[in-house]
Amino acid sequence: MKLLALMKKEFTRFFRDPRLIVSMILPGILIYIIYSVMGTAMTSEPAAYHFNVYVSGESAVVQTIEQTVELNEGWTVTFEQTDDADAARAEVETGEATALIVFSEGFDDMIGLAPRASIIPAAELVYNSEDSAISAFAAIADAVLDAYGRSFVLTTTDYAQSENFAAQMMAGILPFLIVVFVFSSCMSVTLESVAGEKERGTLATILVTSARRWDIALGKVLPLACVSLIGAASSFLGVALSMPALMGVSIDVAIGGIGFVDYLMLFLLIFSFVPLIVAAIAAVSTLSRSVKEASGYTSVIMILMMVLSIVTAFVDGIGGWVVAVPVLNAVSAMQGVLMGNMVVWQCIVSFALNIVYAGVLVFLIARMLSSERIMFGK
Amino acid sequence: MEKIMAPFADFGEEVVRAENLRKTFTLSRKQQRLDKTGQTHKIAVAGLSFSAYRGEIYGLLGPNGAGKTTTLRILSTLIRPDAGDAFVCGHSVSREAQKVRDQIGFMTSELKLEGFFTPAYLFDFFGALHGVEKETLAKRRKELFERFGIDRFAEVRIKDLSTGMLQKVSLVISIVHDPAVVIFDEPTNGLDVLTAKVVTDFLLELKAMGKSILLSTHIFSLVEKLCDRVGIIIDGRMAADGTLESVCAGSTLEDKFFEIYHAVKGETI
Ligand SMILES: Nc1ncnc2c1ncn2[C@@H]1O[C@H](COP(=O)(O)OP(=O)(O)OP(=O)(O)O)[C@@H](O)[C@H]1O
Ligand SMILES: [Mg+2]
Repeated sequence: MKLLALMKKEFTRFFRDPRLIVSMILPGILIYIIYSVMGTAMTSEPAAYHFNVYVSGESAVVQTIEQTVELNEGWTVTFEQTDDADAARAEVETGEATALIVFSEGFDDMIGLAPRASIIPAAELVYNSEDSAISAFAAIADAVLDAYGRSFVLTTTDYAQSENFAAQMMAGILPFLIVVFVFSSCMSVTLESVAGEKERGTLATILVTSARRWDIALGKVLPLACVSLIGAASSFLGVALSMPALMGVSIDVAIGGIGFVDYLMLFLLIFSFVPLIVAAIAAVSTLSRSVKEASGYTSVIMILMMVLSIVTAFVDGIGGWVVAVPVLNAVSAMQGVLMGNMVVWQCIVSFALNIVYAGVLVFLIARMLSSERIMFGK
Repeated sequence: MEKIMAPFADFGEEVVRAENLRKTFTLSRKQQRLDKTGQTHKIAVAGLSFSAYRGEIYGLLGPNGAGKTTTLRILSTLIRPDAGDAFVCGHSVSREAQKVRDQIGFMTSELKLEGFFTPAYLFDFFGALHGVEKETLAKRRKELFERFGIDRFAEVRIKDLSTGMLQKVSLVISIVHDPAVVIFDEPTNGLDVLTAKVVTDFLLELKAMGKSILLSTHIFSLVEKLCDRVGIIIDGRMAADGTLESVCAGSTLEDKFFEIYHAVKGETI
């Protein structure tokens, strides 16, 4: 009952102030703009592009691939039948040819018979994704082949030495940016509401009522986390919408690559560190004497987190221990998801731990509220 | 409503009892420099005892730094005594802080209201925090707002109110839960004559409503005008305590105060 009144007050404060609402929604819009622009710049394929593709064996699917590719304005494909697969491979590896598609004998007929047939039909897609246009072609060919029928074996071979650098940068930086944007929206509401109220003496007025300290702490963190989640959701939407531009492919291919489960995980991870960040800023605010002091400390936390998330992004083979580190665990898990190698246990453990950490912080805030040295010390 | 009690003799129920209260503050470096002392500790309240009675106004009178605010903060459970204890309506401030908070309304300039909200909203908010029933709350709000002329300003944001109206609103909100005891630190400090009158009238009104009031001040006339009882506090100790008549013993409060002050400090000003 008292908790409800406290929470309602925070919500009222927020939703009647257009300035606060805008500050919550802006980050997502910014992410969307930055990423769409950056994505287009970094992965821009030449407007006109000609693909020459070797084909070994026969299948009608080639026509579908051609049609799909040529839907993109300026893109043309020629298919060249070859018997010397090894020579073709060498050309693909050096980038002279776009790709090689190998079909097993009687591919289309066998697909009709499988899986009853004794020989399972097979197809192989060979390419080198270091060229972003070729990478885009491969994505399309892969998707079309995937849709052609389930009952054959598809092997893909990518000659790229490193993963596409641009894509890796994106996946590395994106979670970092989400953290930064979410952090700043949490910061804008929490500092004002906790450190601000303490500085202005309105928190003390609440402390002389018979509301329990635990309720007061929770009555701050819960609504502020909800409100910050709006900011997080906005950042998330920004990311989700700019994903296709980022990957340099059309929207259906992007959604095909990053599945529903991946999106769900991304959202859960963001959902888990929002209350944690709010609770952390609220704790620091409770300790500080003024908004200025609190924002000083909070900036230090933010910089620390930024540096660590960047490190997590670009240090290979970071240990499993990262899952125990608040917020960073989510950053690392999100990077996994975005690079297409999601580790489910890592996501779930990170989620649970972050919520637990937030609870511990709320408990600490309640303790601080009862400490006269912290609340009324000079 | 309760009857107004005769403000003279030692009768009536004891609503506040302080027993040998002590409070020492650790001084930070900065404070030490400001105070120009090498001492690391400051004894703000040094074994203070007194009682205040139902339906009366009790005034804590003392010079700057005497320990008035500290005493009132202990009584309102904002800070804890190092030693001794105090009881408000029979509840210990150190062991039953929650119950004490339900019995008191605390007014001081350090407690502020959020400028963003309206008096009506905050009245309901603090009512809910004190666990007042919805219907009771609505009735009380109507009554109190009418009585103190706040009704016309009920929906004006706190930050747009005049100082006098803001004072009234703060006062009314501090008694939203119908507390038995009202504690008030420096009620007229920093107010112009008009606003100060708003406050003193309010206190007399509260007394008429049967509330017990405990206030602190360094203004003699305020004590003479309002208080039934007075405690003169010097250096954290009670130098004199009793009904206004018994403390003054025929002379004016001011003369009596300096007499006591010299006796305690052994110096002239
Ligand atoms: N939180 C604190 N930390 C350190 N010293 C304090 C603290 N609070 C009060 N003091 C010191 O304790 C002494 C008593 O302070 P208090 O505020 O109770 O006096 P007061 O009687 O209310 O004086 P005034 O008339 O100036 O308000 C002063 O010397 C003050 O400096
Ligand atoms: Mg004082």
